[in-house]
Amino acid sequence: MQLKIRHALVLSALLAVQAAAEDYVNVQFMGYDEESGETTVYTPAIEINKDFGADYTLNLTLTHDSVSGASPTWYDTFSGASAKLPEGVVYKNDITYGPVEYEDKRKAVGLTLTKRFASRDELTAGVNYSDEYDYTSKEFSLEYLHYLDASKNRSITAGASYQNNDVSVYCSLGNDVCDGVSGASAVVKDLEVVSSEVGFTQIVDKTSLVKTSLFYIHENGYLSNPYMRVVRYYDTEPKITEEQKPGSRTAYGVTLNYTKALREDLSSITDYRFYDDDWDITSHTLATELNYEVNPKLSVGAGVRYYTQTKAKFYSGSKAYFTDQKYASSDRRMADFDAWTYKANASYKVTSKIQLSGNVAYYDQPDRYNAIFYGVGVKYLF
Amino acid sequence: MRWVVIVLVLLFQGCAVKNVKPWEKGLLAKERMKPDNGNALFTRFSKHIYFSKEASKGGGGVAGGGCGCN
Repeated sequence: MQLKIRHALVLSALLAVQAAAEDYVNVQFMGYDEESGETTVYTPAIEINKDFGADYTLNLTLTHDSVSGASPTWYDTFSGASAKLPEGVVYKNDITYGPVEYEDKRKAVGLTLTKRFASRDELTAGVNYSDEYDYTSKEFSLEYLHYLDASKNRSITAGASYQNNDVSVYCSLGNDVCDGVSGASAVVKDLEVVSSEVGFTQIVDKTSLVKTSLFYIHENGYLSNPYMRVVRYYDTEPKITEEQKPGSRTAYGVTLNYTKALREDLSSITDYRFYDDDWDITSHTLATELNYEVNPKLSVGAGVRYYTQTKAKFYSGSKAYFTDQKYASSDRRMADFDAWTYKANASYKVTSKIQLSGNVAYYDQPDRYNAIFYGVGVKYLF
Repeated sequence: MRWVVIVLVLLFQGCAVKNVKPWEKGLLAKERMKPDNGNALFTRFSKHIYFSKEASKGGGGVAGGGCGCN
């Protein structure tokens, strides 16, 4: 009898581990579409997750973004809707804030390798690379997970990443970084980002867990957007110039997560994030979702996210505000605003190895714009 | 910030933490205990959208990749 109980316990433990570790290929076609038609993004992506024995896991992600549409900024209607800085005299009544067309394609690859030690602590090393018309990004990261108790109910994580970005400022835009003498078609500006995060996870009981983390981000380099414009009045006549953001940014924040199985077939996930930086931007993000298993094949879910932020100290959306300030931006992302996201998902197990999924979200910044983003795909377990 | 610390303290003080055995963690390992029903690609895509439309970021792990944020 004792032997049977021991076998049952070992089997249960193996099943629990097996549920967490799996080999799969996840193929998704995702998209983003603003209702105003300003920006449309199509993103096919593939993720491959493969365990090598019990000690190693490799995760590879390949993504291709195809972006078309327009970003809002100041331009001279007499010259036309373009990010190119106008030459000569610009009349106040000809200046308007509106969409300026652009197109871009972005290819990204991400790779992580996780090593588990005899203690089952984990070390994860990652690399990310992405390339687009005017932006190249390289990133390296390391994260260590350490269990604090024998039952592995409590753990801490510590991680850090370094990102190096090359921003190409095309001289055809007329930005000041091009000297106009060298004849170069673009000037490449550098941006470095260092991130670190310390987290703590506690399994509360067999149906719930809590997580918290502290994070720190420091950015140094070219943080302006070469396509964004501001209107300055140096004397009586307005002039459209490139935006100027500070050359560094330091941010920190706290996250909290509570995940709970309310019933055998119903789970809730609640997240909160506090963020603060030295550009005077403070934000709060609160998100919650419910996932429900309708039957062993079909699961559905729904969630809501609320986001609010204060404006950057150098932001103004007015065309009669900036004079000779060192830093100036009318980038709408730097404004104070609220945003709501409402999302839903469904997944269906066609067989024990094939799972179909669909996700959709409605993103709304009230009185500014709204968008839909979505994903449909198939996951193959092997 | 002060009230974040207060919430953290209350949360962990209020938690009646139990010693959960490995074979009792099957429910915690379910896909539906993860964001977007376990669809990590869509979760990453969502984060990228928020990052490109809002001025704050961070808190979801240290790795994430670069821009794509016009």
